[in-house]
Amino acid sequence: MRTPRIAVDYSRCGDGRGVDPRVCCRCLQACSPAVFLLHQSFGAAEPDPLDPQAWRVTVMWPTLCTRCMKCVQACPEHAVTVG
Amino acid sequence: MFGENPMCDHCMKHGSAGKWYLNAAGYSEEVARRHNLREFLLEQYKNFEQISVRKVAGFSPAGMDRVFRMPIIGRLVKRSAEKLLHSTRPPSDPFRPEGHIGQVVPLEDGVAILQHCAAEPIIEKNCMCRYMTRGIKESCCINFGVMSEIIDKLPRFIPEKDKYLLSREEAVRRFTEHNRKGYIGTIWYGPYPYINNLCSCALPECAGIRPRVDFGIKSIHKAEYVIRLEEERCRGCRACASRCPFKAISVEPETSLARVDATACYGCGVCRHACDTDALVLEPRKASARDPVHAHA
Repeated sequence: MRTPRIAVDYSRCGDGRGVDPRVCCRCLQACSPAVFLLHQSFGAAEPDPLDPQAWRVTVMWPTLCTRCMKCVQACPEHAVTVG
Repeated sequence: MFGENPMCDHCMKHGSAGKWYLNAAGYSEEVARRHNLREFLLEQYKNFEQISVRKVAGFSPAGMDRVFRMPIIGRLVKRSAEKLLHSTRPPSDPFRPEGHIGQVVPLEDGVAILQHCAAEPIIEKNCMCRYMTRGIKESCCINFGVMSEIIDKLPRFIPEKDKYLLSREEAVRRFTEHNRKGYIGTIWYGPYPYINNLCSCALPECAGIRPRVDFGIKSIHKAEYVIRLEEERCRGCRACASRCPFKAISVEPETSLARVDATACYGCGVCRHACDTDALVLEPRKASARDPVHAHA
């Protein structure tokens, strides 16, 4: 099976601009094989480096995706697409 | 056969009979100071969650699983990842998971670590793997010594409800609770040669175990033990099979008895907590079936 193309639209979620993925986490929790990874955004200006505030979700293990589409359904911002 | 596994520095110093984690020297302040780990670990943990997505040699690790699955290139890439994880060189780059290697430990060995080896202060922090993969904060990761001092500066790792600073007895109690829940005990160098993390892991969340389970990268050693079934005691209730995180236990349809696949078994021993009749026994893994305790690259 071809590896699914999973994308996150960072204008809607994360990087300190859109929804804060640490507060939402719905895609993270919907995904049974845990394909996504939550981490600090690169290059964000952090007022307190010990307590970073800009986070994003990255697609880490696309080959484990089963195309169940639960992440797409769970995302309130329609930021996740699976093709 | 000979010469395939020459003794590495670590084995020369500590012996190759396994259980490196029961040598208290690995937990000592002296090791932490020699490698300047106060500075190193603070730098590493400030943005710890970024490490697994940071570019290595110009390539982003995100989506690297596609490459892992390629026949020849996949093997080469996986081997270079193993080389990094198993590195025994002095830690130099806090942004790479150099020398971050661990081993599965059953309840008994985890308790022995806490009672005899772990350096104080002992704390329990939020598991970073569960945070990275699920966004949840669950305090079940026991840290020692310098690692505890570092976590003290980083608010997101400090549990809000559960107790944070633990006595040895409290740490034993917490680790036992996690193990009975079915969490896999693991002990980690972070980085080699300093031992500072006793985790209670779950799959698929654990960033240390899943590369091995999902892609065959030796990111963690199996325990020095393996489970054996005492058939006369097994009642075929299947509780162990559903508890095993590694799917190493099945139930034979003809006999209705459990069957342990010793090669799939990681020796974590959590299946024992599900068995009412003590039919599962943890015994030393035979030398032939053991991982080399260390990468003999």
